[in-house]
Amino acid sequence: MIKITNLEKFYRTEEVETIALNKLSIEVKTGEFVAIMGPSGCGKSTLLNILGMLDDPDEGSYVFNGIEVAHFTERKRADLRKHNIGFVFQSFNLIDELTVFENVELPLIYTGVPSAERVKRVEEVLDKMQIMHRRNHYPQQLSGGQQQRVAIARAVVNKPKLILADEPTGNLDSSNGNDVMELLTDLNEQGTTIIMVTHSEHDARYSHRIIRLLDGQSVVENIMV
Amino acid sequence: MIKSYVIIAFRSIRRNLSYAFLNVFGLTLGIAACLVIFLIVRNELSYDNYAKADRIYRVTLNAIDFNSNVSLAIAPKMRIDFPELEQVTQVMYSKEVMVKVGNNRFRDNDFAFADEHFISVFNFNWIAGDPKTALNEPNAIVLTETLSHKYFGDANPMGRVINIENQINAKVTGVIKDLPGNRSLPLQMIVSLETIKSQIKNNMDNFWNIGGGFFTFILLPPNSSIKNIQSKVPAFLRKNWSIEKDVRLPMQPIKDIHFDQRYINNVITPTSKSTYYALFGIAMLIIITACINFINLATAQAIKRSKEVGVRKVLGAMRSQLITQFMGETTVLVLIALILGVSTAALFLTQAGAWLNINIDARQLQEPLVIGIIAGLTIVIILLSGLYPSFVLSAFQPVSSLKSGSAGGFTRGFTLRKGLVVSQFAISQILIVGTLVVANQMDYFENQDLGFQKDAIISIYVPNEAKSEVLRQQLTSTPGVQQISFSSGAPSYANNATSFSAPAYGLTKDDVTNVKFVDENYTDMFGLKMLAGEKIRKVPATDTIQNFVVNETLVHKLGIMDPRKAVGVHLTVNGRDATIMGVVQDFQEESKHKKIRACVLQYRAQNFYRACIKIQPSAITKTIDNIGKSWSKLFPDNLFQYQFLDEHIASFYAQEQKVYTAFKLFSGIAILIGCLGLYGLIAFAASQRTKEVGIRKVLGAPIMSIVALFSKEFILLITVAFFIAGPIGYYAMHSWLQNYAYHINIGAGIFVISIAASVIIAAITISYQAIKAALVNPVKSLRSE
Repeated sequence: MIKITNLEKFYRTEEVETIALNKLSIEVKTGEFVAIMGPSGCGKSTLLNILGMLDDPDEGSYVFNGIEVAHFTERKRADLRKHNIGFVFQSFNLIDELTVFENVELPLIYTGVPSAERVKRVEEVLDKMQIMHRRNHYPQQLSGGQQQRVAIARAVVNKPKLILADEPTGNLDSSNGNDVMELLTDLNEQGTTIIMVTHSEHDARYSHRIIRLLDGQSVVENIMV
Repeated sequence: MIKSYVIIAFRSIRRNLSYAFLNVFGLTLGIAACLVIFLIVRNELSYDNYAKADRIYRVTLNAIDFNSNVSLAIAPKMRIDFPELEQVTQVMYSKEVMVKVGNNRFRDNDFAFADEHFISVFNFNWIAGDPKTALNEPNAIVLTETLSHKYFGDANPMGRVINIENQINAKVTGVIKDLPGNRSLPLQMIVSLETIKSQIKNNMDNFWNIGGGFFTFILLPPNSSIKNIQSKVPAFLRKNWSIEKDVRLPMQPIKDIHFDQRYINNVITPTSKSTYYALFGIAMLIIITACINFINLATAQAIKRSKEVGVRKVLGAMRSQLITQFMGETTVLVLIALILGVSTAALFLTQAGAWLNINIDARQLQEPLVIGIIAGLTIVIILLSGLYPSFVLSAFQPVSSLKSGSAGGFTRGFTLRKGLVVSQFAISQILIVGTLVVANQMDYFENQDLGFQKDAIISIYVPNEAKSEVLRQQLTSTPGVQQISFSSGAPSYANNATSFSAPAYGLTKDDVTNVKFVDENYTDMFGLKMLAGEKIRKVPATDTIQNFVVNETLVHKLGIMDPRKAVGVHLTVNGRDATIMGVVQDFQEESKHKKIRACVLQYRAQNFYRACIKIQPSAITKTIDNIGKSWSKLFPDNLFQYQFLDEHIASFYAQEQKVYTAFKLFSGIAILIGCLGLYGLIAFAASQRTKEVGIRKVLGAPIMSIVALFSKEFILLITVAFFIAGPIGYYAMHSWLQNYAYHINIGAGIFVISIAASVIIAAITISYQAIKAALVNPVKSLRSE
């Protein structure tokens, strides 16, 4: 599904040039659950942003589902992204002004799903995440665990082929964290490809494979049994 | 989708209520002010828009100066010599008359005698009576609706009799709708000119017998040119009065009357169009200021919104969708402000008429044109205030806005905001300079360099000069009366004018001089300053020698520089020999719009129509009361009326006063709107810098240095603004002052005050937020980060 080859990304300020990704090559197959680990500043988030088409690489190739997207325009990337990729963030990134229902509905609005269909699908996914009873609440009225469920509901409502999760349990206690990991595992078992950035060895154990980054390069790959 | 935009618009307004309030409040004021200004300007610019206005001209006289009044002799002759004209009509206007209906007595304004052609030229709206015949017969009167109700209540007024000035009994032959306020010839009562035919016989052939209030109008046939009429005037003057040169009869388009300031003897003092363009400019500035607020507050909130933008983009929002969303929020706010603004304007307009002395009312807001303007204004405001923030906000890159909670475009936005704040300060300062200049000029008009005393003096009418002596005795014994002088009018009252020449001093051609008939107390009571010779003294009625006191301007016209050398000089005044007995320092005989003219003072008891009385300032009300009682006993058929001299002088400047009031009001609004924006901006800056303030305090910064931190930047912006505003303000106000023959000079003081005022205004606006930020416990501010 994903094949990146010799990917490079630099950050330049007036005086220094920092290399975030250094000729990185990775392949992820459809249906895989991959964890990316590494110390702070190793390039994990940069990689995730590029994979999520939120950012573009400076050099190298990024093939998504057989399409070269490394130098797509923002518009084309956005289009590809909204139909194929769901995001889960450490800080949830729910919109405070919208209710649970509306937050989850948002991706469907942007992909042009008709209203009746939207209600059906949102209710379906809220039900699955067991937060139906909170549908009319605002994010700040929910616990952290509940907020992350909403965020995951939002990420999957469009039935994306790929979910990118950026430390999804980082702001949660261990019990809520485990719940989230179970949810991701379920999704993966139903066929969704998942790439997750994490600091937690515990969480990483839920994945099939761990890619360890250091200074923008892949150093080790652990295959989980 | 649209529903979701509206929902989120309302929710984000609710969450940021204080910003929404600042925005909406500013815009509300701005929209209300703009509407009111628009109606004021439209009212003034549509003066005299009669149905046939394009074909109506006023026949005026240009001999020495431009006179609105012409002799009654002209109209009948024009009817003969200009058969191509559709109509020629004449009126004799009086500011006020005394009216008796049954046993009730009234004093009412705007009275005229008019000939039977008058109606067909001006097309009034008739409620009762026949416009074709209403003014044909003698002793016929046409009233406005308002007066008809005042005199007769709901009863049918037709055929009822009204007595005018104890002299004329007129029968009501018509009732017309009230005239709009914007008429150069306001009218409430019109009596047929036939009524006084015998009294005005002498006026009917003398070209130079020009009374105050004598107006002549012509109605041109459709599709013909006034040039053809104008070109025949010299032959007309030659044929009828043997006038060969130096006299013209300019045909003035009726729509120019309100704006042509060259003319004297208008009923309504003409005003300068540029004043209204200036007012219109203020309206623009107000709207710009309100939109700047909007842009400032919206982009300042960018940081708060950046996360939302990032999330939406990650979820697949196109930039255009985000722009639509933010424009939607702007639209909601603007529409709220629009509703409030129109309501505010409607409320204000019910009061504004009286306050600004202008005839506008809230119903005008429902006119299609006004509604169109409102719609246009709304769209302009939405675009001006919404577009830029929408583009800035929607441009945020999700990666950076999600990571740090800050926005990529923010630094650029901040520079732009500085620019906008500078423009707001510049606008405020220009308006402060403008208001100060107008204020100083108003003070100068009414109080400075008049050349005579005006305080605590009232002027009353003397209906019968023969009773002057009795009146004087009675007034002298009235407690509280300090001085009395009989004359044809106080120094500032309308003058009689006459011709004078002095062949021995090279003045062979007739020049014009004002004439005042004054008694022996006049000079002292008004504090006129004698420069040479003697002041006016009492002369027996039988004395035929004409001795005058003249003003400096007249002496200078003779080419005499030393007033002492003028005493004893002989002149020809009104065709008769006269001697200068004294020279008085120039005093302001008319408004300061005009240069002081030559003036002569003479003792002549039969022309003492008015008594001026200086009253002890501590007992004004009681004294006037007593004066009124004595007066009414002497003249039982008349109504007692008095006028304070300073109020009379102020009435010269009614137009300026109106403009000044409007200027003060609307500048105040513009400045207030600017302050709202500044307040919001500094509140935002303070909330953004909570952490910085906390760190500084932990490191030992005193409160004052924190306040200074916030103020420093704004002081700099004010200074930059001043360099823009100073020259613009100076240039604009300097040109305005050129409208007046006598005006102040714009000194450095005005600019010092204006920059000080904007510093103080900014300081007050900033200080609350700055001090609040400085007082926060650093533990709290650092933790909340």
